[in-house]
Amino acid sequence: MTSPASNQGKHPNGAYVFRLYLASGAPNSVRALANLYAICRKHFPDSHRIELIDVLKEPLRALAEAVLVTPTLVKISPEPELQIIGNLSDEEEVLRSLGLPQKDSA
Amino acid sequence: MGAIPRLSCTSKLKTRAGRSCFRRNFTESQMKKVTNHSKHPKKEGGATDKKRPRRLEKIATGIEGFDDITGGGLPLRRTTLFMGGPGCGKTVFALQILVSSAAHHGVPGIFVAFEEDAHLVADNAETFGWDVEKLERKKQLFFVDACMRSDVVKAGAFDLTGLLAALEAKASEIGAKIIVFDAIDVLLSLLDDPAAEARELYRLHEWLKRFELTGIITTKIEDGKPGTAQRYGFMPFMADCAVLLTQRVADRAAVRTARIIKYRGSPHVLNEVPFMIGPAGLEVGSTNGVHPEPQPFKDRVSTGIRSLDTMLRGGLYRGTNALLTGSSGTGKTMLAGAFIEAACRRGERALFISFDENSRDIVRDLASVSIDLAPALESGLLRMVAVRTESASSEEHFMRIKRLIAEQKPRCVAIDPLSALARVGGGLAARAVAERLIYRCRNAGITVLFTSLLEGIDPQLETTTLHVSTIADSWIQLSYALLDGERNRALSIIKSRGSKHSNQLRELIFSDAGITLAEPYTGGGQVFMGALRVEKENGQRTETSRKRREIDGKRREVERMMKERDHQIDAAQRDLRDRCEELDVLTRAEQTSAAESTQRQDGVVRKRDGAAVQKQARSKSNGKPVSAGAKKRAASR
Repeated sequence: MTSPASNQGKHPNGAYVFRLYLASGAPNSVRALANLYAICRKHFPDSHRIELIDVLKEPLRALAEAVLVTPTLVKISPEPELQIIGNLSDEEEVLRSLGLPQKDSA
Repeated sequence: MGAIPRLSCTSKLKTRAGRSCFRRNFTESQMKKVTNHSKHPKKEGGATDKKRPRRLEKIATGIEGFDDITGGGLPLRRTTLFMGGPGCGKTVFALQILVSSAAHHGVPGIFVAFEEDAHLVADNAETFGWDVEKLERKKQLFFVDACMRSDVVKAGAFDLTGLLAALEAKASEIGAKIIVFDAIDVLLSLLDDPAAEARELYRLHEWLKRFELTGIITTKIEDGKPGTAQRYGFMPFMADCAVLLTQRVADRAAVRTARIIKYRGSPHVLNEVPFMIGPAGLEVGSTNGVHPEPQPFKDRVSTGIRSLDTMLRGGLYRGTNALLTGSSGTGKTMLAGAFIEAACRRGERALFISFDENSRDIVRDLASVSIDLAPALESGLLRMVAVRTESASSEEHFMRIKRLIAEQKPRCVAIDPLSALARVGGGLAARAVAERLIYRCRNAGITVLFTSLLEGIDPQLETTTLHVSTIADSWIQLSYALLDGERNRALSIIKSRGSKHSNQLRELIFSDAGITLAEPYTGGGQVFMGALRVEKENGQRTETSRKRREIDGKRREVERMMKERDHQIDAAQRDLRDRCEELDVLTRAEQTSAAESTQRQDGVVRKRDGAAVQKQARSKSNGKPVSAGAKKRAASR
């Protein structure tokens, strides 16, 4: 399940590739998805790709990939890999961990 | 297990299919094992049928002693909570239950490690000799590494939905019935929101219930202090069974204890019970195991000292215990040695546990009283173990002794001295241990002789450090009798349950010939010992011979007197007889002379008027003339 990917090039490190593990229907997961879309649209609208994994549908995959809680966001690219857990409502924290200027949205 | 559908790709798992397969997959042996006393009541058809209380189904934990205090184990298909501070053994508890179920009952389980690396947990399990690797290979055990990486960023609230879905898939894949969440607090604390934490816990709890899994959750609480547990204070309320584990130091010895805070629908031991993490896993010290009471033995076991056996009317009853008290140097070890030697002579396996004295020293010392333990030691009939008291708490000593007994399988055990248990960890713990040890041996039909050091020298102060004298079946007291500049060993039997025993204080004599008890020597209402005894004995001997001489003298005198008297009597009788004879002779002589004088007179009368007299005489004797017979008659008259 892949979200519409946009073209790459604006970010110096290339496109942001995210993988979001979620439990379809769970409030936190629903919120995380919305928050992730919002952040991507706002900060790197043209250079991101989001892969969604429904843990309820692929439960053993989450276990194999060491994902414990839902929602979990894994930043696959650019390196290094990063795991962010939670519904991403703490935008500041997300941006800081992604190494982006935090107050640029203003 | 082929019936389990591969549901990993569908979310329908959590509905009917999942539930039924969980139920069905419970192996029959496991069900039997855990539900042997939980038969469902028969259908209430007849009005006379009283509804029997339904017993809670339980799952045996495989932890020695723990099944005793929980009355059979943890609640089946319910949630149990283990709480405790660091190093209390929460993880080991959970792990051992899981491994034991998998290994012994073939019940697969999942271990979710939130705090420790799952591999490390598995490795630690291997140190107990549990073959976790094999169980993992056989898909009986599955470790989930739920240890959150340190670089994980938290940005907002999350929940356990995903984790539970994943575990659900795994559980149905391997047919797991038990699932452990180790240190769930680590994950929950990430939420940083008490309400959310509670919500997730309830989610977990409901999930366990829905899939009828036996859940074991462990969580930290800081040192069991009230207040610190507030954060997860609701947890015990949620769980069906909650166990509080603590570790504390009492008199330099660390003691781990477990206490069942609650257990819904099941009676359980309320008290704190000590437990220990031994080389093969956990062992819970419980006294109230529902062990079948052993049939008491009728035969007697020799104490190794014949005269002591006599005092006890044949020795100790088999399967009972004897307490041997006395201050140091009274010879407790010697008596213990004699008891053990006698056991080995009978061909019985024996165990000699000594505290703070080397086995070899004891063997050497015992040789001085002709007790030779060396052959039995060589043949393996006897095992001697020297234990350093400082090395462990009384609880650990107990576990060790228990293991030794299990290994050696002795029929006779000597523990010298039992009071050493109290040296580290305090008397109270030691007393509990001593009691458990005694009960355990009694149940196993082992005859035990344990010595106990008495502090102080006053033999009147007959209290043992452990106060075990009340539970001892026999109590033999060794003491010193201080008399006239001598110290003599003395032995007395204070009690001997169910048997008559001597009430005498006997002198205990150690010599090259062995251990003996001197025959009681009493004189003037006192028991004498040692030199005093010899002196008294000698004194009495002289006195006796003097008296005997005196009596002999008197007897001789009397005899002489009697002889004399006899002589006198004889003489008197002889005299009397003589006199009688004399008298007789005289009488006869006198009569003869009288007759003669009468004849003479007759002659004179006849001469004067012979016709008249002749006539008269003729008519008197019918005409017969007066004959010589008449004359004779007259003479004898």
